[in-house]
Amino acid sequence: MLIQFFRNKCIGCNYCVEVAPERWQMSKRDGKCVLVGGKKKGNMYQIKVGEHERYVNEQAANVCPVNVIRLD
Amino acid sequence: MTDSVEIMAPAGDWASLRAALQAGSDSVYFGVEQLNMRARATNNFTLDDLEEISFLCSEHKTKTYLTLNTVLYDHDLPLMKRIIDRVKETGITAIIASDQSAIMYAHKQGVEVHISTQANISNTEMVEFYSHFADVMVMARELSLNQVENIVNTVKENNITGPSGKLVEIEIFAHGALCMAVSGKCYMSLHTYNSSANRGACKQNCRHAYRVTNDEDEELMIDNEYIMSPKDLCTIDFLDRILATGVKVLKLEGRGRSPEYVKTVTQCYKEAAQSVLDGTYTREKAKAWKTRLEEVYNRGFWNGYYLGQRLGEWSDQHGSVATKQKTFVGKVLHFYPEPEVAHIRIKTKELQLHDPIIIVGDTTGVVETTVESLWVDDQPSEHAGKGVECTIKVPAKVRPGDNLYLWEERD
Ligand code: SF4
Repeated sequence: MLIQFFRNKCIGCNYCVEVAPERWQMSKRDGKCVLVGGKKKGNMYQIKVGEHERYVNEQAANVCPVNVIRLD
Repeated sequence: MTDSVEIMAPAGDWASLRAALQAGSDSVYFGVEQLNMRARATNNFTLDDLEEISFLCSEHKTKTYLTLNTVLYDHDLPLMKRIIDRVKETGITAIIASDQSAIMYAHKQGVEVHISTQANISNTEMVEFYSHFADVMVMARELSLNQVENIVNTVKENNITGPSGKLVEIEIFAHGALCMAVSGKCYMSLHTYNSSANRGACKQNCRHAYRVTNDEDEELMIDNEYIMSPKDLCTIDFLDRILATGVKVLKLEGRGRSPEYVKTVTQCYKEAAQSVLDGTYTREKAKAWKTRLEEVYNRGFWNGYYLGQRLGEWSDQHGSVATKQKTFVGKVLHFYPEPEVAHIRIKTKELQLHDPIIIVGDTTGVVETTVESLWVDDQPSEHAGKGVECTIKVPAKVRPGDNLYLWEERD
């Protein structure tokens, strides 16, 4: 499963961290979220993870108020 | 009665900022990065823009206020501090804040602080409390004019001064959207869409139509389904009474609004306030300003809570009831300064002689005019159709990439 994260639009609300703390962390550097292990590609970050992570990251994508988390 | 008043205009992007300056605003407010109540908006300014904003506005002798008024979490504190450091370095006039961490840090750095409406200041002792940190304070939106006047008088009588040593200045909202939240604190968007208004991600679901039903599926008869959507505040027809209270700053709401909204609203309030100060303000003039204000985005107007005699008045439709509308026509390709002529590519709609138009751009702001002469292929023409390039006379400098709109009465 591929997680994509359009970081520049993140508003740093922390909701994704509440539901999927293993994969999402807040950065104290700029107050936005970090996709743990994500690689930068253009203006977004992405990482391939196992299916076992789908549930929590689906939740993260659903709670994100600005829809910057996409799953494929 | 106040002897001077500051008209503070919203600036959500470069074009609106220019429009505010063109309209003669005394100050502008804007947000950067994600720590402002319009974080969801796509074109917030960034930290790198502060220098240019400060430079541009100081040329116009316009004060600059950076809003830093969201709920702040621990992970936000380093960015909050970095923003305040940049405010100091770039000479932005002040920050508008409600969270005590931001107020405290700015105060320590010697950065001027204004207390935002989110702090819900509604009595004199709160003013005294915040006077240790702030020179200007926005009052809670729920106060009546009598209550505002009482606060202004107490500030004078008790000599309540801010860190600058001057009397604390009282600011109130004068125009624009009011929501059903208390001083901007609302959970509706969070509960329904998980999208926190207090982090600048309000989905404005109060603005929709609602029906009230109970468990038995019985529907309450209500003659207006927009039961949570107040009309917009407009104070232009009692601005004399507003300024009689001694308030110093009038805030115009609308960082999400268009540049022509910012220009019209700022111009109207600037002219009206000046006429109150000159003693030339009349009801007829106020009526004319109100008609101009109705041209741009509004959900219908009411007096807010200032005159105390009315409860909330609810909008009765979704979106704007503005009397004018803009329709995109084409883009500016070039500007010839000597004859003041713009070269336009028409894209969507025919442009005709005598059409009222506005040209809008980041550096241009808003230029409003009527097509008085039009040429196609160097020949005078009555109209220019879709896909055609034409030239028209314009009253001010416009720039390649600016958008040209028809600016007409709404049907
Ligand atoms: S939920 Fe979305 S906006 Fe909020 S921190 Fe996570 S990625 Fe950013």
